[in-house]
Amino acid sequence: MKEQWRLLQTGFNTAFSNMAVDRAILVENSEGKVPPTVRFYGWIPPAISIGYFQSVAEEIDVNACEKLGVDYVRRMTGGGAVFHDKELTYSIVIPEAHPAIPKNILKSYGRICNALLQGLAQLGINGTYAPINDILVDGKKISGNAQTRKANTILQHGTILLDVDVDTMFSLLKVPNEKIKDKLIQDVKQRVTSIQHILGKKIGFEEMVEALKLGFEEEFDVELIQGILTKEEKTLAIQFEKECFSTTQWNHRR
Amino acid sequence: MRSQSIYKVPQGKLLKISVEYDEKNNVIRDIRITGDFFAYPEEAIELMEKKLRNTVIEREQLQAKIQSIIAEYHIQFIGVDPEGLTQGILMCKP
Repeated sequence: MKEQWRLLQTGFNTAFSNMAVDRAILVENSEGKVPPTVRFYGWIPPAISIGYFQSVAEEIDVNACEKLGVDYVRRMTGGGAVFHDKELTYSIVIPEAHPAIPKNILKSYGRICNALLQGLAQLGINGTYAPINDILVDGKKISGNAQTRKANTILQHGTILLDVDVDTMFSLLKVPNEKIKDKLIQDVKQRVTSIQHILGKKIGFEEMVEALKLGFEEEFDVELIQGILTKEEKTLAIQFEKECFSTTQWNHRR
Repeated sequence: MRSQSIYKVPQGKLLKISVEYDEKNNVIRDIRITGDFFAYPEEAIELMEKKLRNTVIEREQLQAKIQSIIAEYHIQFIGVDPEGLTQGILMCKP
C-alpha cells in the first residue's frame, strides 16, 4: 500500500492567515501530531510576501499597496518578494528525516520542485528546475519556491503563476533605480511567464490543484488523502496570525 | 557614517547591505544584511549582524570573521557566501 499523506485545500485567505497556517502545520508535524502534508491555497486580498531577509522599506511601495488594497507579509522563509495575485500557492511540510527528502538543502529543493514539474506535465507543459529555487518553462520563470527547516521539519512553499500582470506588480514593488524602471519591467516581461501565456487559455485554480496533486503523488509515490486542519492547528494558526504575521513588529523587523 | 551597497552575488542572489561605520578606526558600528538569499537557520542573520560589530572593514579580516561565525553557529547560506558578504560590505565604503 502506498504511504498516505494529508492533502489540505484551504481556499483563499489573507496573507497573514496563509503564513500562519503554514507555520502551524510545521509545528504540529514536528511534534508528530499530523502526517506529511501538501496544502494548496490562494490569497484574498492579493498580497506581496517578502523573504525573511528582505526589508519592507526596500522592497515594497507601502502607499501603493494601501491604495490598491494589497496586503503585505514577511515570510518565515528566505527568497524574494512575490506578488500573489493570479496564482496557486502550495506548501509541503515533512520531517527532515523522511526518506523521500534529501538531507542536502539544494537537493531537497530539486526533489520537491520535481513534483511541480510532474504537475505541469499533467497539463502538457514541459518545465525545468533552475537552481536555486525557480522553475522555468521555455527559459522563463513560472514558479518560485522557498524552504525553511525548523525543529527537524521542512516547510517549502511556492507559487505557480496562472496569469501575470507585470505592470501592477511593479507599481507595488520598489526598484533600486527608478530611471531604469521601464527597462526592468520590459526585462521581467521577457523573463516571466504563466500557464495562461503558455497554453493560450485560462486554467482554473481547481484544475491546477488537481494537476499538482497528481504531480506530488507521482513524484513521491504517495496517496494524498483529503483532510482538514486539526483543532490544534487552527488554534495555533490564529495565535501566529495575531502575534506574528499581522504585526508591524514582525513585518517591519528588517 | 552610514552607507549602503547593492551587490549581485555571482551565481547567487541580490545582497543589500547597510553599514554604519567608524571612519576614524575603520570598523563596523552597525550592519544590516538584507536580500533575497537563504540562510539556515534564518535567525542566524541577526546573530551575524551583531557579531560583525567592531570588525575592521578590510577584506581578509572580514572574510575570516564571517567564516568563523558561520562555523561556530553552523550557519548554511544559499545564494550568498563569505566572499559575497565581504564584497558587499567593502562596497559600502566609497
